Amino acid sequence: MKAGFVPGVPLQGLLDAQAPAWRKAPAQVIGLTGTPSALQPTAAVRAEFPDGRIGAVKQVSVSALHNGSELAFRLAWQDASVDTGADGQDDVGFPDAAAILFPGSPGAPLMTMGAPGLPVNAWYWRADEDGRGRQVTAEGLGTTQTVDRDQVHARGRHDNGGWAVVIGRSLRARSAGAVAQLEAGAAASFSVAVWEGSHGERAGIKAIALGPLSGWHELVVDRKA
Amino acid sequence: MGKRQLAMVMDLNKCLGCHTCTVACKQLWTRDEGMEYMWWNTVNTMPGRGTPRDWEQMGGGFREGEAQPGRLPRRAEFGEAWKFDHEGSYYGGQGDASHLGIKGGSPDWGPNWEEDEGGGKYPNSFHFYMPRICNHCTHPACVEACPRGAVEKREEDGIVTVNEDRCRGYRFCQSACPYKKMYFNHQKKVAQKCIFCFPRIEQGVAPACARQCPGRVRFVGYRDDEAAPIYKLVDKWKVALPLHPEYGTEPNVFYVPPVGPVSYGADGDIDESKPRIPDEYLVSLFGPKALDALVTLKAEREKKRTTGASELMDLLIAYEWKNMFGGFDRSPEAVSVIHWRKKS
Repeated sequence: MKAGFVPGVPLQGLLDAQAPAWRKAPAQVIGLTGTPSALQPTAAVRAEFPDGRIGAVKQVSVSALHNGSELAFRLAWQDASVDTGADGQDDVGFPDAAAILFPGSPGAPLMTMGAPGLPVNAWYWRADEDGRGRQVTAEGLGTTQTVDRDQVHARGRHDNGGWAVVIGRSLRARSAGAVAQLEAGAAASFSVAVWEGSHGERAGIKAIALGPLSGWHELVVDRKA
Repeated sequence: MGKRQLAMVMDLNKCLGCHTCTVACKQLWTRDEGMEYMWWNTVNTMPGRGTPRDWEQMGGGFREGEAQPGRLPRRAEFGEAWKFDHEGSYYGGQGDASHLGIKGGSPDWGPNWEEDEGGGKYPNSFHFYMPRICNHCTHPACVEACPRGAVEKREEDGIVTVNEDRCRGYRFCQSACPYKKMYFNHQKKVAQKCIFCFPRIEQGVAPACARQCPGRVRFVGYRDDEAAPIYKLVDKWKVALPLHPEYGTEPNVFYVPPVGPVSYGADGDIDESKPRIPDEYLVSLFGPKALDALVTLKAEREKKRTTGASELMDLLIAYEWKNMFGGFDRSPEAVSVIHWRKKS
């Protein structure tokens, strides 16, 4: 898919999923698949989540825009339950969440969240941390770590029975971690994950977008002209 | 398998249900935000549904080595910490007609909610108290469940702790623990649990629940120290047993089962042949070895009564309080610095 160029619109202006720029951005519906139970890192997780119980959200509508220096994704999906993880809401519930995943180095595998020496980079939004995204890296299942909480911006709104979440970051990031470095006019690989809190989805229990490029989807960041 | 394992033995024949252990733990460890409902140490009147309510039906642990699915306990099943309505009773305009009550709705559960219930039928009613902490298991379901490796079993002493920097609040540990002794801090969004007072242990001081116990119920020490009480009670005399061994986690907290009084017969006379606490109930808690333990305990009691000499009874009586702690007998006041926080 393509991230269209919207000159002069700052990322802060795009974080509102109802911002006018998004109305003109073409949206692509991407199918989601539950992660395989067998790939969950521990037996307890596999016992609690056999195949068929993972991946409650089946599709997500994705659009992307950039302003030459910042890139934003708008994710929209149907979700009747608003799981914000607010204290006292449901004390055995989990918050809804979504993330964009990039390879942090060429050849990083998607299904295993990277591998030693082959990191992946997630831009992560969670309903109980709305407004403040996380930049996450991983080099294999169970190894995610938050590298910063100020470069990824993410904001969600829930109406008409669904979430619309915008997640964005500068195309190029200053980080010692192995985070994605993107540029206008170039192609990149990405994937999307959605966690349905009311189904107990958290950690590796999620629905992911599997694309044609070794599991990745292609993103073309439009030229600036 | 780590180098060594710390363990605890609790003699249920001596527990008087005073909750000093619970309060000692609360004062030391669970006074921060989000910990209001947490009681890392609980004491329940048995038999009962326990804390959290019906925890024995929540699953987790292992069966034939296979991890079993479990469910998350709700805060209401532990019992929410309630507040008293001082304003309403002192300033509600009702003078002395109003009594101090609970703010908000009345709770329907709490820690040791069944304080005054027990089991059996009069005149053969019975009860005993059972304190519980984290079992610091040899095969800890919480450690094995965490997909992030955030729950750790310390190599040097087998204490199980949560690395709160690594924890992301996924709570798989909580459903996996068959004893439901993992707690979730809803404010900090991390798992928290009994730490066997490791900052005290590191200074040679026994855990607060053990040291503060006025009933001399709790023994502490390394599992393999043959000269110390734990080894003698668990391995030599075989009178201290894990709770629910069938959960497959190999607990390192052991219980001396309660012998209890004898029964009354239908004619109102004492019936020495029948224990007041049904054998099958103790077997349901501690497994079939509970019966062997009871035989040993009764025989050694008799020996002590008739001859005055029984190593086992002398151990359980704990004439010398400090000898209960397997060398962890320093006073906290004698220790200059206790590192309450994780070493970096």
